[in-house]
Amino acid sequence: MTVAPERFQTAFPDAVHGISADGIPHILVRPEHLVETIRQCRDALGYGRWVDMTAVDEPEVEPRFELQYMLYSMGEHRWVRIKTQTDDRAPSVTGVFPGANWYEREVYDLFGVEFDGHPNLTRIMMPDGWNGHPLRRDYPIGGEPVDFTVTRETYGTGGGNELRG
Amino acid sequence: MTLEAPRISNTLHINMGPQHPSTHGVLRVELELDGEVVVKCNPIIGYLHTGIEKTFESLTYVQGVTLTDRMDYLNPMGNNLAYCLSIEQLFECEIPDRATVGRVLLAELTRINSHLVFVGTAGFDLGASSVFLYCLREREKLLDLFEWLTGQRMMTSHIRPGGLASDFEPEWLAATGKFLDSLPKSIDEYESLLTENPLFKDRMIGIGVLKAEDALAWGVTGPVLRATGVAQDLRKTNPYLGYETYDFDAIVGEGGDCYARYKVRVAELREAVKIAQQALKRLPGGPVKTSNRKVMPPPREELGQSMESLIHHFKLFTEGIKPPAGEAYVPVESPRGELGFYIVSDGTGKPVRVHERAPTFANVQALPLMAEGGLVADLIAVIASIDPVMGEVDR
Repeated sequence: MTVAPERFQTAFPDAVHGISADGIPHILVRPEHLVETIRQCRDALGYGRWVDMTAVDEPEVEPRFELQYMLYSMGEHRWVRIKTQTDDRAPSVTGVFPGANWYEREVYDLFGVEFDGHPNLTRIMMPDGWNGHPLRRDYPIGGEPVDFTVTRETYGTGGGNELRG
Repeated sequence: MTLEAPRISNTLHINMGPQHPSTHGVLRVELELDGEVVVKCNPIIGYLHTGIEKTFESLTYVQGVTLTDRMDYLNPMGNNLAYCLSIEQLFECEIPDRATVGRVLLAELTRINSHLVFVGTAGFDLGASSVFLYCLREREKLLDLFEWLTGQRMMTSHIRPGGLASDFEPEWLAATGKFLDSLPKSIDEYESLLTENPLFKDRMIGIGVLKAEDALAWGVTGPVLRATGVAQDLRKTNPYLGYETYDFDAIVGEGGDCYARYKVRVAELREAVKIAQQALKRLPGGPVKTSNRKVMPPPREELGQSMESLIHHFKLFTEGIKPPAGEAYVPVESPRGELGFYIVSDGTGKPVRVHERAPTFANVQALPLMAEGGLVADLIAVIASIDPVMGEVDR
C-alpha cells in the first residue's frame, strides 16, 4: 500500500508531501494548483479511478477546511490523497473527474465550501431551504427550530395560555 | 424542484419516486420522456439523510460501530469491518488469528446475505416474483444464524475495534457449515428460474450499458465496475484479513449491461460460499479479542483480582478508546464496491471526522449514463442492477 513519495516530489516540487497513518501518500497543494495536480495525477501518473472526496473542518485553524481528494491507480493498485486548504471556496474538479459532481455538492451542502466552475452547485442532502451547514464543527447539535406552517402566533392567540383558560 | 414547464416540446417531465417500489428505498428520479424513451434522467437523493457522519462526532469509537450497521443494512458486518480496520490502523494493535479468520467468515456471510436480496429483488422488479420468496427463504436462515451469534438479526455490531464482540459456539459453527453446504443447491434453483429465462434475458441483455472508462471516471466500483470487464476487487488487488491466502476467483463480467451485473453477483455468491467454507475449516482456536487493554476491556473475572484491569475497565467505559492523532482509510470490498471509513482522530475519545466512502453513492450518481436513451421500463432493470442501498447513499 505504501509508495515512495519521491515520484510525487519530482512531479509536484512546490507541494507539501507526506504519508498518513494508513500508508497512503498525501500531497498538499494550494487551491489554485488543485485542478492541475489532479489532472497530472490522472494523465501522467496513472491515477485514473476517482475514489472519494470529503472535507475536514477545524474552526480554530486558519484556513479552516481541509479538502481531501482520493484517487486510485489501476496499474499499481495504490491510492493517493490530494489535499488543499481553504476558508470558503475552491475550484471544481468536475472537469477532470465527472464523478466529483455529487461529492462537491455534498461538501458544499454540509460544510459550505463553494466550488467555482461546478455545473450544478445545489444542496444534495439537506432540504433546499435549509439554513447553515451541519457538518461544520461549530454547528449546534440539537434544539434547531422546527418550522410549523401554522402556529398559535398565526391566529394571534399568544403563547397558548388563553386556550388553557 | 427545478423542473421548468416545457414550452414547445413533446417531452414529458415526470417524477419516479421517492416512494416507488422499484427504487429500493427513497430514491427520486426526475425523468424527461419522449414517448417511452428516457431523454434525461436526474437522480435526486437525500430523503434518508439522518446526519450519521455528524452523529459520529459525539459518540465514542465503540459506540460508533452501531451507526455503521445502519448505513448499509444489507451488509452490517462488512460496514463494522471497514470501520474497525480504519481504527485499528491508527492503533496498530494485534488482532488474534481466530478473530481475523472469523471476520472473513462473517464478511462473506453478509455478502451472501446481500447478494441473496439482490437476486430476489432484481427478479421481483422484473416480474419474477417467485424467486424473491426462495431467496428470502435462504436469507431467513442466515438471519437466524446472525441472531444466534449476535442477538440481532440485522443490526449486529459484532465486529468491534480489537476483535469480535463474542466467541463462536461450536454448535453455531456446525449449523453455519450445514447452511453453507446446502446453499449451492439453492443457488442452482435461483439460476434455473432466472439465468436462462427468456423473459428475464430480454429485460436484461444489452440494457443499461456502462463503459469501463466512464465507470472509472465516475468512481463506480464493485460488481457494476467488474461487469464492464475491469478486474478490480480489493480482496485481490489490495488484500486485507489475509484474503490472498484463500482460494477464490475475482469475478469479471463482460458487456457492462444489466445481465452482466446479475451474472457477476450470482458468481460472487458461489465464490463467497467457497471462501466462507475455507474460513470455517481453518478457524483456529484462541481468543477473539486483542490483549491490548487500551482497545478491548479486560474479561469480567479479572476485575475482582487486578487493580490494573479495574482501571482499564473504568477508563474504557468512561472515556472510550483513544487512537493516536492521525487519519486512516482502510477500504474493504463490500457487496456493492469499495467501502471505506476515512477517520480523523485528534487523540481524544471521540473522532474529529468520520466519512464513509459509500460505494452506492458513486454508483447511483452514474445512473444517468446507464438510463438515458433507454426505455422507461428499462430504468427499473437498471436501478435493480445497481443494487442500491439508500441508507448508505444518504447517510
